[in-house]
Amino acid sequence: MTKKTIIQKRQENYLITILALVSLILSNVALPWTENPSSMPNYFIALIVIFVVLEKANLNLSKLFIIGLLVDLILGQILGQYTLIFISIYALNFLIGKILIIKTETQILSLSSFIILFSFFVLWATSQSHDIIFPLGLLFHQFILTLFILLILKFTINTFTTK
Amino acid sequence: MAQGKKSNNLKLFNRNTFPLFYFLILFILCLTIMGLDYRYKISNEIKAEISIINTPVNFLINLPETLLLEVKNNLVTKELLEEKIKTLEQNIYYLSIKNQENKLLRSENKLLRNKLKIHKKFNIVGVNAEIILPNVKNGYGVITINKGIKDKIRNGAPVINNNGLVGQIINSTKSYSEIKPLTSIKFAVPAIKDSGKENVILYGNGNGELEIPLFPARSKLKVNDIFMTSGIDKIYPKGINIGKVIAIEPTKSPKFNNILIQPFSQPTSYSQITVLKIKKND
Repeated sequence: MTKKTIIQKRQENYLITILALVSLILSNVALPWTENPSSMPNYFIALIVIFVVLEKANLNLSKLFIIGLLVDLILGQILGQYTLIFISIYALNFLIGKILIIKTETQILSLSSFIILFSFFVLWATSQSHDIIFPLGLLFHQFILTLFILLILKFTINTFTTK
Repeated sequence: MAQGKKSNNLKLFNRNTFPLFYFLILFILCLTIMGLDYRYKISNEIKAEISIINTPVNFLINLPETLLLEVKNNLVTKELLEEKIKTLEQNIYYLSIKNQENKLLRSENKLLRNKLKIHKKFNIVGVNAEIILPNVKNGYGVITINKGIKDKIRNGAPVINNNGLVGQIINSTKSYSEIKPLTSIKFAVPAIKDSGKENVILYGNGNGELEIPLFPARSKLKVNDIFMTSGIDKIYPKGINIGKVIAIEPTKSPKFNNILIQPFSQPTSYSQITVLKIKKND
């Protein structure tokens, strides 16, 4: 395992702060081509998934717990919802890392897709609307948009951080 | 071979131990927080206090539209203003005739109420506000208005506009408030047909419409029938227009129909709404 320099750590911390602020603004802006607000990408899930999978910004359970609480306070429906999602993302990534080697771009993308779907499941299970029937078309739309945002974030992270 | 490469990107199996105990503690803590928040609505109180984070975000996303409106107002010509005055004068004339009619109806209504001994009054007092952005928050439709606690707007207050019911205040901070639109999931309002029959509860379906999921098929209801608030919940005052029936769909059971209702109010950004304050007198 390679150790990161202080400059690298600082770079990653700045980047996650800036991207979180951008995500906060974008989460409040409706996409012009979507009539249903539910088919918006989930910017914060995409952000946390890519940072956890790429092991950037030294995210651990405590940091994710605090970030989750902040997201819940600003954007969430109920306190603890995003906190639960973020710590679950960390745990899932950690456990998959125990049994699988994640090395290539395709593997990273597959793992990210799986974690995003898992996050959506937790989001749905803890949703306050208590819908028993979940519209699959909407889930697919939201999943594709979130994955697209994740790819943009991945490109941004690779551009602005040193490997 | 993996060992021979010595690449910085190479990530083999994770050999650290998983902090299971810590994870379980945080997991239980999350569930406890969710339970407590669901029961005591702690987040609403905290959100009202920390609007300092959301206020700059709201300002930023409204900035382009505000600037555009300011520029438009400053560059308005004399000709346009004269045209506007003419239209407004026509409106005043039309409304003054309507007002005369209303005065007559009001006095008639007063006489009839006295004869029938009806004491219930429609004490509707409201605060006018303007709809601003955001109209969506992390995937959920909301209506944000530019008035908050300092304008005496409280959570749970009903909101109307000139067309009818708009929704209910769900989160009020110092400088702005959020409204749950009447078409959103989990929104329910007791209603009555404009003829005074068929007391029902209308539910938002999250798709821009309201519905009555199990309406008895034997009841007489047709497309274009109008529903208004019945007032039995003592939240929404009686007689506010809600919407009209657009479809009567059969369900699996032949005894019931699913009724779809299109709301009259279609609140758009930068339009006016009124947040009601109702004095309960019955």
